[in-house]
Amino acid sequence: MAADTSPKVLFEQVGVFIHSNSGDDCIEQDLLVSGSIRIVDKDGEVHVEYRPLEDSVDPSNMLCAGKDSSSVMEWGQSPEERPHHGLEAQHSYETEWDIVNAVSFKKKTFSNGDGALNHSHERNRWAFTFSISDLRSITVKMDAWSYLFFKLKEASVSLPTLHFHQGGSTEFLDSLRRCALLSESPEDESCLLVSTANKALSQSFENLLEDNNFGLVHKLKKDPYVTTLGGFSKVTNYLFDAFRGTEEQQRRPPEEVADLLGEVIPGLEINQQEEPGFEVIIRIDLGVRPEVQRGEPLFTELWAEHQDTEGRILNVPHLKQVIFKGGLCHMLRKDVWKFLLGYFPWDSTLEERKALQRAKTDEYFRMKLQWKSVSEEQERRNSRLRDNRSLIEKDVNRTDRTNRFYEGIDNPGLVLLHDILMTYCMYDFDLGYVQGMSDLLSPLLYVMENEVDAFWCFVSFMDQMHQNFEEQMQGMKTQLVQLSSLLRLLDLNFWNYLESQDSGFLYFCFRWLLIRFKRELSFQDVLRLWEVMWTGLPCQNLHLLVCCAILDSEKHKIMEENYGFSEILKHVNELSMKLDIEEILRKSEAICLQIKGCKDLPHSVSDILGFNMDEVAAEAPRSEVMEPRKGSPAPSPSLTHREQAFSNGHGHLRESSQNGCKVSFVS
Amino acid sequence: MSAKTSLLKVILLGDGGVGKSSLMNRYVTNKFDTHLFHTIGVEFLNKDLEVDGHMVTLQIWDTAGQERFRSLRTPFYRGSDCCLLTFSVDDSQSFLNMGNWKKEFIYYADVKEPEKFPFVVLGNKVDVTERQVSTEDARQWCQENGNYPYYETSAKDATNVAVAFEEAVRRVLAMEERTDHLIPTDTVNLHRKPRSATSCCS
Repeated sequence: MAADTSPKVLFEQVGVFIHSNSGDDCIEQDLLVSGSIRIVDKDGEVHVEYRPLEDSVDPSNMLCAGKDSSSVMEWGQSPEERPHHGLEAQHSYETEWDIVNAVSFKKKTFSNGDGALNHSHERNRWAFTFSISDLRSITVKMDAWSYLFFKLKEASVSLPTLHFHQGGSTEFLDSLRRCALLSESPEDESCLLVSTANKALSQSFENLLEDNNFGLVHKLKKDPYVTTLGGFSKVTNYLFDAFRGTEEQQRRPPEEVADLLGEVIPGLEINQQEEPGFEVIIRIDLGVRPEVQRGEPLFTELWAEHQDTEGRILNVPHLKQVIFKGGLCHMLRKDVWKFLLGYFPWDSTLEERKALQRAKTDEYFRMKLQWKSVSEEQERRNSRLRDNRSLIEKDVNRTDRTNRFYEGIDNPGLVLLHDILMTYCMYDFDLGYVQGMSDLLSPLLYVMENEVDAFWCFVSFMDQMHQNFEEQMQGMKTQLVQLSSLLRLLDLNFWNYLESQDSGFLYFCFRWLLIRFKRELSFQDVLRLWEVMWTGLPCQNLHLLVCCAILDSEKHKIMEENYGFSEILKHVNELSMKLDIEEILRKSEAICLQIKGCKDLPHSVSDILGFNMDEVAAEAPRSEVMEPRKGSPAPSPSLTHREQAFSNGHGHLRESSQNGCKVSFVS
Repeated sequence: MSAKTSLLKVILLGDGGVGKSSLMNRYVTNKFDTHLFHTIGVEFLNKDLEVDGHMVTLQIWDTAGQERFRSLRTPFYRGSDCCLLTFSVDDSQSFLNMGNWKKEFIYYADVKEPEKFPFVVLGNKVDVTERQVSTEDARQWCQENGNYPYYETSAKDATNVAVAFEEAVRRVLAMEERTDHLIPTDTVNLHRKPRSATSCCS
């Protein structure tokens, strides 16, 4: 068992002093504590230990930061010195538990113990150890000697500054770099932010191997750090078994939840470990975020002007640009959404669309008849159908019931919602009904006011959203990983904060992503957001930038209030219905432009936003890209029709790209 | 002990539509909204209360009930002090599924001694006239599964809601008191082996 291996010393330096009872630079000789610092690998977990020199330390007296709970012994000597941290009574109790944790941990790792008894408690109390995974940052200062100040993720704990009177601080940091990433803080050059490989990594490794999206796996495979991670989980379990008390649980579950989420959403850890172990993260200069203006909605006159005599839509890129900038006036939604969603081809004539609608109406009612004609007897033997029906009935009664279209008892809107969802089960029986789908359908039905049109628009929308609802929820996982990459690029500091609060998995964005902000915005604002998103402008995956924009507005509050795992979730959930759609869209576009203007953009980010498509298009211009832009306010070079089609990768949009080509030919 | 405020995490589990969110909202805000959305993802609310002289902050977690969301729901089971298994008395299927919910909880919450874990069973929607599950059947299930306390609730008219949550708190506190005797937090006893301490209570 892992506990039997003795700790491996990776680095040791003597002549490291604590100047107690002092500010960092005021020395009082009589309170100088001399000791040694070590970096130790214990069962695959890297710890930093400080021990006063004179004593052969009895480990059971050491103050210990158990990684499992990020619980650390208070350095402060009296309760009064403790920083404010919620309820005082509760706090002192936690401290007791921390001692317990520390002791049990020692029992395990020092099984061959140094055993020596000592009585010098006065000195001994200065000994401390912490896991580097609990370390948030190291501040490096130079005086006549260098001294380091360690800040742990648990903000309430402060450790004494260590003064390297006999040198060795650089070597210490170099050794540490082999086990963790140290990156300069943007605010303070002397501050090195620490990040370590995720604990859940080894567990989710199997999952990762199945996924080709994350090519970094092979790098990690070679990284010895990964192999060391398994050992720690055993320690966690040991402690978990031993001390199942409430006080201890207050701290531990978030980390456990995060670990488990890490298994569910493989890939996030990879993002943080692009160069595992050795490379310092290079901060990318994003430059200034530009000011962006929103425009007026598209009105009927302009829409009418963009149709030829037979009803084909002209200059689609310009129309999309207008819709992206200002959305649609409500009257137009019923028509234009069908094009935006790909139900109607842009270059179809009015006659062709009528024919299409007739055919689609037949197809719809054929499918509707399929479930309508199932007898009670049949349904009794068809659990899939029964379950779908039961869920749909329940959810329809709980979808947008304050909207006039769905309010009250026996509202026809409810019946339509029900019937379309049931028919969709027939259209895609493998998927069936999944909660959240009623949210996506409701605005479509509200706008279309027509069962058949709403159904086919829903089919198109579901083409985009399908992966979110699949058994493995791959769409959700991919989006969370992508969002993590973007957040990290935009604000490493905030991203690190989320990590430190076990919130790096961004579980609090789950509802946002699953149903595209349907529950976060007022009904009318949802209509606006969706039509803007469907234009495919100004880049692909705009909804991820919408997440970034919202979080950008909340991050200061989250960090200032020092929100933890649960509080972040609660705060984000409570943003619902308090968001300003125009502000969010402005910010999202601005972020897009900001990222686009950035020179050394990581490829992963360009891929997410589809910027690489631009390069491909620019290098190999084809006729269909050279669409005339008659007098339109010059859209950015990337906004050609073809690229959007590529970037979305959905059937109906690909179709529209061909249509775009034809339009250019015609006009 | 009585001077402290403990944070207790309870989790509401049960089929979609049995009224988990409504129970939580009724208890915490004393409101009932017939137009409430079905839950997507994970939500929670806090409520401070005093039970038998103990100050408690109850953190009530509410999740989406559909099978599909299991992988993103179950991580949040960790660290729960109590589980409220919920069904609807007008939905026999939701009653039949309780065993599965219990199993899912025990497995994912990593409960070490399932037979000792405090479950409380809620039969919701007693305001509805067409019942599909009788009180006797529900009681019998509770008895056979671990002698769980059973409450027939209505989030709509507030029947038994507060009582049920308070019972959950009592169960947790009772568990803790037992634990307190076993692992004294006094520093003198730190060297005691916790594992053997746990086993000596049985």
